[in-house]
Order: sequence, then structure tokens, then C-alpha cells
Amino acid sequence: MQGPLIDTLARQGVTRRTFFKYCATLASLMALPPSAGRAMAEAMAASPAAVKRPSVIWLPFQECTGCTESITRSHSPTIEGLIFDAISLDYQETLMAAAGHQAEEALHKAMKDNEGKYLLIVDGSIPLGLDGAYSCIAGKSNLETLKEVAKGAAAIVAMGSCAAFGGIPKANPNPTGAVSVSDVIKDKPIINIPGCPPIPVVMTGVLAHFLTFGSLPEMDSKGRPKAFYGETIHDRCYRRPFYDQGKFAKTFDDEGARKGWCLFELGCKGPVTYNACATVKWNGGTSWPVESGHGCLGCSEPDFWDAGGFYKALSMPADPLKMVSAAAAVGAAAGVAVSFANRAKKSAAKAGHETTTLADLEK
Amino acid sequence: MPLENIPIVTVSAGAAVGPAPLDGLSGNAPVLLREIAEHVNRLLATGESSAIDLNALPLTPADLDWLQETLGTGEIAITLESDGDSTLNETACPGVWWVTHHNEHGAVVSRFLEVAFVPELVKAHPEDIKIGLEHLDLLISGLS
Amino acid sequence: MNEMQFLTWVRGTGLNIALGIFLLGVIWRLIEIYGLGRKKDLSAPRNVSGASGWNTMFRRSVPPEGMLKKSPVSYIGGYIFHLGLFVVLFLFAPHIKFFESLLGISWPGLPSQFIDLVAVVTIAAMVVVLVDRINKPVKRYLSTFEDWFTWLVTFLPVLTGWMAVQHLLLPYTTMLALHILSVEILLIVLPFTKLFHAFTLWGSRWYNGQVNGHKGVAV
Repeated sequence: MQGPLIDTLARQGVTRRTFFKYCATLASLMALPPSAGRAMAEAMAASPAAVKRPSVIWLPFQECTGCTESITRSHSPTIEGLIFDAISLDYQETLMAAAGHQAEEALHKAMKDNEGKYLLIVDGSIPLGLDGAYSCIAGKSNLETLKEVAKGAAAIVAMGSCAAFGGIPKANPNPTGAVSVSDVIKDKPIINIPGCPPIPVVMTGVLAHFLTFGSLPEMDSKGRPKAFYGETIHDRCYRRPFYDQGKFAKTFDDEGARKGWCLFELGCKGPVTYNACATVKWNGGTSWPVESGHGCLGCSEPDFWDAGGFYKALSMPADPLKMVSAAAAVGAAAGVAVSFANRAKKSAAKAGHETTTLADLEK
Repeated sequence: MPLENIPIVTVSAGAAVGPAPLDGLSGNAPVLLREIAEHVNRLLATGESSAIDLNALPLTPADLDWLQETLGTGEIAITLESDGDSTLNETACPGVWWVTHHNEHGAVVSRFLEVAFVPELVKAHPEDIKIGLEHLDLLISGLS
Repeated sequence: MNEMQFLTWVRGTGLNIALGIFLLGVIWRLIEIYGLGRKKDLSAPRNVSGASGWNTMFRRSVPPEGMLKKSPVSYIGGYIFHLGLFVVLFLFAPHIKFFESLLGISWPGLPSQFIDLVAVVTIAAMVVVLVDRINKPVKRYLSTFEDWFTWLVTFLPVLTGWMAVQHLLLPYTTMLALHILSVEILLIVLPFTKLFHAFTLWGSRWYNGQVNGHKGVAV
């Protein structure tokens, strides 16, 4: 697409004011000062000469396309989606018209033309098993492709839990040997946007930040943008007061569930899940899992699939306690054995007891 | 404002959901009045407009109601119809605007207090005016 | 290992091992203690009012005359932290959920703000008791490694649990995992140290009272 972003948006029926309003909200969501919203809007709306709109290459690996769906289908047409349209998305298998050799050509052309400047988005994990044979594109393993494309990237966005942490492909027993982007690439700035799928506005927020400031936003120790992943679901949850009062739904259809009480006992992983669902919500702010009555699965955390079951409260044992009965039996046996030993000792002491006689004392 | 001068800080808004007192007032709203006064002083002195992001502050719904009630209603109420309504209402203190953005479902997505002669969003952009002029020219040419 | 794996480990394998050792130790020691037996008492029982097992259980639970003034920290601090531990351990909703998953029974909990307050008081009482142990020359002289160590393994679960809830120092996930880990250390240590008094306290008080009552002495 050519011309300033604002023209592109105008063609889609988005006015400048709508866009400015969107940027103001985006800045607010990212905890940036209001002036940043204006700066963002102006930088992004300006002509391509004023702001270098980077080429974006999107590589899909072991993924389900849910992340792409989340971004493009959140509710159409979204400004989120339009920003995606407006950047130079040079390679995205699902969205691009080209296929086969043409697509590969587009990829290599984008890499060559924008070397060192393009933004690489990855969704899906990278299989290392069988030399990467589990997932190949154009005859190359995902590992090879990632290394090749990452070399010339300015920064990498690991989109979704699979790219960020390995996700479901990495779930026990991890048959394909799946790993995350950061397990493979060590020498590039990587930002993780986990979630299964991630919230669309988080994606565009990071993108808008990159377009405006030329850098990735502030990140936490897991490489996630702090603005969106700074707090747990539990801490921002509207049902939190019920947790504090000790009011819990015990089943999905009891009195407590109907009254909207806390879902902790039904396995909600909100307390250990860092994400913005509770504030940003889903489907254009309509609702989110906890609001619809189901506990948080913790989908934006590493290894959420193997965290001991979705319907087990966090304070409950993650696995069946197999050792306990055996240990009890061993303990009982040891106790009985030691008791017998003690009795034997006592009998021996009794037997060895010598009676003192008068004769002994007179010696 | 140059881009590099914009401080990017992560604000923890966790306090906002903490247990609120019975009347729901956290005591954070009254101090905001002083901050607004400072912004108004600057507007008068330098003409520089500014904004306060109400969603970024630990304010309870009751705080917001109190603030809105205290600031009162002015003479002008503007509604912007784009991707859901936005209301830009003057308060009883001229120059202080209560700005609320809704999405297309009517939910509030962001709230600002803007201190300006006219809210930024209301002003027409020169580029848009140019497009409007082209349209005008087209209308005029249609007359002859 | 990331913190989620850490948490899952302490909730799974770690808990399995710790509960296993705990149960093994507790059953072993209880059987051993009760299997020891006692010599037959050949003397005629003397009945003195107030000298019985039940009396002693009660009497030893209140400070002897004058002792409260002599050693207020031991009694008041000790009482506060024991009651605090009981409240925090058995009346915090997530803990109840844990017991329910193990034992199949549950009971009502208390609001978390109240538990939070009790935890702070418990922590303070434990610190005061420790400082007293360090400051008083006699107490310090009597203290062995086991005393310091058991204080620490009792203190850590309370501290880490409170810090997890308050989001102090470390992310909640890590702190929660550390909390559960500290509880597991406590579980492993409990049967083999003086902490076993949690199981033997009432039994031994009753026994001492009963045996001495037999001899006509109210202890």
C-alpha cells in the first residue's frame, strides 16, 4: 500500500478523528501519557517520508492460525486490522494472495530490500525433533527459516504462547521437540506477546509503539510488554472482592456461580496469569472468560497446558499423590520393626539385670 | 513535544481495584482539582493544552462521579460520532473538558480531562480541510 | 525451569515426596512411641483431687503462677503465634481447598483481609520470640541448632505465604511456589524434630498427668 496511513484508513472509511481517538485509547491502555497518544497518532498518520513504515514479515510455524484469526477477525473492520493492512506486510501465508514460489520470492525480496530494518513476527513454535522435519515450508525446516529470516530483522515479535513459550506443541511429552523463538534466537531484541490467542490490541499496541518510537516497549523478565502483562488477571478481576470475602463458586451451576462469585476453587489460574483480559476484555470489550463464568486457563503463561489441570484449584495437588499410601505403609512397617527392636532391647536389659545381694554389699 | 521527551513508564493501577471504603471514595479525586488548576494556569500563561488520563489513575467509579459532579456542566457539549460516540463536554470551569470515548457497543474505552481552549479532537485538521475544499470546488463547478 | 514449571513441580512431585516422607515419619514415630510400653506400676493408686491426665492437659496450658510476669514473651508471644498459625493454616480458603482435596472434608473460611492481619501478627510474634531467644542469655545457652532450624522452617511458610498474597519482592507465581516449597520442607522436617510436638503434645501431657496422679501428685 502506498501513501500515508491516514489515507489508507480514509479509504476504509476511518476518519482522522476516529484514528486519533483510537490512538488516545491505545496510549491509555499502554499506560503512556496522553501526549503520547497524540504523538503516536501524528507519527502514524504522517507521510511515509516522515515515518519509516517498516516491512513486516510474518512467519507461521507450528501453529493453528488462531493468532492470525484473533488479529484479523476480532470484529471487522477494526482499526487494529487496518493498521496491519497499512503496514507493509510483505509475507503472511494466510493473508497473502501469492502462493508457492511467488510467496517465497516475496519473502526473499522483502528480506533483501529491508535488510536490518524489517520487523519479524513469528507465530507457532519451532520443532527441533528429527532435524526439524515435523514442520517445513518450501523444503526448509522452520529452524532454518527462522535463523535465516531473523538475521536481517530489526526486532522479533513472538506472537502467541507457542512462539513465546512453546505453547501447546511443547506440552508434555512434546513429541516434536518444540521450542520457543527465544530458545533459538539469542542476538535480536525479542518481544513476547503470549496468549492463546493474544489480545488484538496488545499486538497493535506493540506495533504502534514500534512504528512511533522505533523501539519495543518496556518488557518484563519474560520479555512481555509490561503495559499489558504488568499485573495478574486475579489482581484486576472484577470478581476479586468475592475472593477476599471468601465467597467461591463450588460448581459451575450453583448459587455462587449464579451470583458471580470467585472461580478460584473451580481452577481459575488468574492469580498466576499475567495478562490484560480483565481490563481490555475480548471481542471489542464485550466480555472475557471470567465474566462468562469460566476460570482463567492461564493461556499466556509458559507451560499452561501442563500446569496440573484446568479445573484444579491452584492450592490443590497438581498430580495424584501416588507415594502417600506406600509411604504410610513403609512408615508403619518401620515403626513396628523399631518397636520390636526396642522390646528386644528391653528384654535383653531385663535379662542382663543382676540382683544385688547382701553378700555383694558386704564385700 | 519531541518523541524522545515523552516518558514511558509503567503505571501500576492495581490500587484502583483494592477494597474501597463503603461510600466508594478513595480520596484521590479532590487532589486532582489542584492538578487541573495547574494545567489551567499553564494554559493561560503559555497557551499550551494538556490532558489527564483518568483511566490511568486509581479512581473508583464513585471518585469519577464525584469529580464529574464537582466540576459541573458548562455551556458546550460536543458529541463526536466515530466508531462509537465520544462526548467532549465543557465543565463549569471553562477550558476544562470532560472527554469520554465509547466503542461501538457503547462501553467506555477511555476517559480524559482535557485542559484546552478547544479540545484537540474538535479542531479540523488542515489536511481534512483541504479535502473539504476540493469537495467545495467540485460543488461550485457543478453550479455553472 | 521457569516459575510455572517450578510451581507445577512443587504442587506435584514435590508435594508427593514431602507428604510421603511426612506420613512415613509420623506413623513410624507414633507407633514407636506408643509401642515403647511402660513398667507395671505396682503401687496402690492414690486419689488426689486435681491430679489426673485431663487436669494436667488443662493446667499446663496456662502459665504457672508468677511465670507470666517472669517470662511474658514466651507465654504471650508463644500463644499468639501458635493461635495465629492455626487460624492462617486452617481458615484461609485456599488452604481449606487443599485439605479438602486430601481429606474430602471442608469447612468455612475467613475473609482474606482478616487472614492477612493474623499473618502479620503471627510473623511479628515469631520475630519477637526469636529476638527474645537471642537476647536472654539463658535461653540462648539452652538453644541448639535444632531450635534455630525449626524456628526457621516454621517461619518461612508464613512469611512466603504472606509475601505471595501481598505481591512483595517476587512475582506471585514464584512466591507461591516458594511458599509451597517451604511448607514441604516443614512437612519433611516435622516428624524428625521437636516440631513433632504437634502430634505428641496432648498425649504426653495426659500421660504425665495420669501417671503422676496415680502417685498422688498434681503436676
